[in-house]
Amino acid sequence: MTTGEITSDLLHGGVTTLEIAAGAWAVSATVGLAFAMARDVGMLPVRLAAASVTALLRSTPQLILLYLVFFGLPSLGIDVGGLTAAIVVLGVADASFNAEYYRASLITVPRTQRDAGMSLGFSRLGTLTFVVLPQAMLYMVAPLLNSFLSLLKTATLASAIGVPEILYRGQNDMQLTGHVVAVIAVVIVLYGVACMPLIRFISVVERRARERLYT
Amino acid sequence: MQWSWLHILWVGLQVTLRLSLYTIGFSVVVAAAFAVASISRWRLVRWTARFVVDLLRSIPILALLIFAYYGLGKYIASWHVDPFWMAVGALTLGEAAFLSEIFRAGLEAIPRTQWEAAASLGFRRTSALARIIAPQAVLPSIPGLVNMSIFTFKDSSLASVIAVPEVTQVANQLVSETFKPLQVYLLLAGFYLVVILPFTALAGLAEKAVTRYYGLHVDKASIARN
Repeated sequence: MTTGEITSDLLHGGVTTLEIAAGAWAVSATVGLAFAMARDVGMLPVRLAAASVTALLRSTPQLILLYLVFFGLPSLGIDVGGLTAAIVVLGVADASFNAEYYRASLITVPRTQRDAGMSLGFSRLGTLTFVVLPQAMLYMVAPLLNSFLSLLKTATLASAIGVPEILYRGQNDMQLTGHVVAVIAVVIVLYGVACMPLIRFISVVERRARERLYT
Repeated sequence: MQWSWLHILWVGLQVTLRLSLYTIGFSVVVAAAFAVASISRWRLVRWTARFVVDLLRSIPILALLIFAYYGLGKYIASWHVDPFWMAVGALTLGEAAFLSEIFRAGLEAIPRTQWEAAASLGFRRTSALARIIAPQAVLPSIPGLVNMSIFTFKDSSLASVIAVPEVTQVANQLVSETFKPLQVYLLLAGFYLVVILPFTALAGLAEKAVTRYYGLHVDKASIARN
């Protein structure tokens, strides 16, 4: 394999990485919101359940959650492919973090807004959905971007269950061709190009949101 | 499930704990160096430090581990470096980048007037940093440090991929011998939980205490997760 072929192989892997990250991001954003809303308006048992599930998910290494679903569930007759397992597991694990950021952003909306919503005859869920959420959205932008950044990186865990994303291919290329330096350089450059601008952008969005909150 | 599993996993957990402790120890030193460099007066030092930190934050920790083992390993095979130390090195680089952002936020939260007061008392910049500024930044950084320690402990499971005999790798072996993945991995998750949950509680307490004493909230929302 020439360096050119290695690069194109790694780029193909990069596309798979993007698929995993994008899929898991969608899962994380929706499931995270569901967790946060359940903790906000649910009945006491629902609130407790949501709180403990997110705490458990946050305290278990993602690699082990991945192994549980990919290697463990088939013994219960639930067999999902590597790609699906990666998207669902990484997404749900990230949702447990997103839920906390959603909650934090809900807190930025003054309590009086809820009272106003309730007094207009909205239910608790209705108040949350139509009055509180729209006002809290601004403070969710940075956490959601962060979530994508984080998932771009945790997507590499899919290599441990044989999904041919960038690191899986890179590892194979290193062992097959011995072009170690080329592989490392391409992976670092691809990740640097994708993530470094995103890191800067997120810190700008965060600063803007913070200035708005405190002034 | 058999009682022998508990013992086998306990042996692995000790390696995990050692791996995490070394990583946390070295990360604190490396992160402090990065943090000091990133508030340097010299633009070149400052920019280099920030570039390196951002680059390290961009690279997945699993990639660092694989590079160290399969990449670097080829060149230093004759040195017989134990994979354990490769894992310590790779994890340290990854975690230190995030920790340095927590330390930097702590240093930047100290009011300018403290620097000016130190200067007016005749302190040079270096000794003002070492004796006046840094000591004040230590306490506000502690919640972030506890959080990063939890992440380090979780991330140390990635070292199983490069054959470090820590608890996840031990569990993988157990699975290949017993063919009971569900039971073994659930037990493994339990092992991680038992160690992490008290620290999560501690992190929450530390954060409350610091917020109350300082009335400030060192912003770590952006860095706590990646």
